[in-house]
Amino acid sequence: MLSILFYLFATVAIFSAFYVTKARNPVNSALCLVTTFICFAVLYITLDAPFMAAIQIIVYAGAIIVLIIFVIMLLNLGTAVKKRYTHALAWGAALSVIMLFITNTFIRRGVPTGKLGDVTTQMIHSYGHTELIGMALFTEFLLPFEIASILLLVAIVGAIILSKRQV
Amino acid sequence: MLENYLPILVLVGIAFAFAVAVVILSRLVGPNKPNDIKLAPYECGMPLLSSARDRFSIKFYIVAVTFIVFDIEVAFLYPWAVVFKQLGWYGAVTMGIFLFVLIVGFVYEWKKGALEWE
Amino acid sequence: MISVYHYLILSAIIFSIGTFGVLTRKNAIVIFMCIELMLNSVNLTFIALSRHLQNMDGQIFVFFVMAVAAAEAAVGLALMIAFYRNRESIDTDDFNMLKW
Repeated sequence: MLSILFYLFATVAIFSAFYVTKARNPVNSALCLVTTFICFAVLYITLDAPFMAAIQIIVYAGAIIVLIIFVIMLLNLGTAVKKRYTHALAWGAALSVIMLFITNTFIRRGVPTGKLGDVTTQMIHSYGHTELIGMALFTEFLLPFEIASILLLVAIVGAIILSKRQV
Repeated sequence: MLENYLPILVLVGIAFAFAVAVVILSRLVGPNKPNDIKLAPYECGMPLLSSARDRFSIKFYIVAVTFIVFDIEVAFLYPWAVVFKQLGWYGAVTMGIFLFVLIVGFVYEWKKGALEWE
Repeated sequence: MISVYHYLILSAIIFSIGTFGVLTRKNAIVIFMCIELMLNSVNLTFIALSRHLQNMDGQIFVFFVMAVAAAEAAVGLALMIAFYRNRESIDTDDFNMLKW
């Protein structure tokens, strides 16, 4: 059951990801990107990370894609004109295939071992995934959390300064 | 654990099948005699003023940016809210600092007049 | 049975597709979307390894990656709007004002 689910959503994710790079109209690309994000959310659920799946949908599919589609509408981007770019296509394809080959080799050869932590499946089910995330975030990762607020502050200020004509 | 998500999977399956079925059925069964009025966005309603593919005002973008930043803020609030009782005052203070920094950004935006519609 | 390797291979494939898009497309917004794709594939790696090693740290990293991605989207798309205002285009071929 789990493997059927994995293969189904992995296939959908790969095909829609490929269509993101292929679609001539940027709105189609954005919609395919949503499909990929939702497939990733399903995969997070199969990895016992339901909170990350929810955040994936809220932040990526809900906010970032909205902003992207917004900008596409704002700039009124039409369909791309078909230009000849066979060189770039060939080089890009070759490079990404080489990269896939290299990463594939490393993944197959390497063994992902290390010191095992204490977060077992049993613990996630009894204690709750969101609780575990919250405890880790507010004890061990407190400083990065506060720095994230400064990052978001900078994002607001930067976006306003860049997008307003006269500040 | 995963069994809890079975209804969502069934819902996704039904929605997908329904969408595909409706498109195929209307292609197969419905007669196809288009004319200008039928293809208009509002078949019976107001006449069109201009194309829908017009450029928007930049104001909308600033609202969208505000939305995305505070969306992330809310995403950070969920795990905090769940463990709030265990953290106690410590949690309240740390989240207070986080919220204060973001409110500074909001006040900046307000003072700059980015939220004014004019 | 699905092991951690399956997830790693999937994320490698998605990452390569993202690279392919970044290298071949000319529309800056589509390039931006491909970068989001690459970020997501790395997130999948983080979560898969976090589950495999039974440690929560990877998932916290994913959380921060998402926060950075949102900030990046806000500023990056504002940059594209500012560029469009000057050049009436967001084709990467037109990003040539700094060329000597």
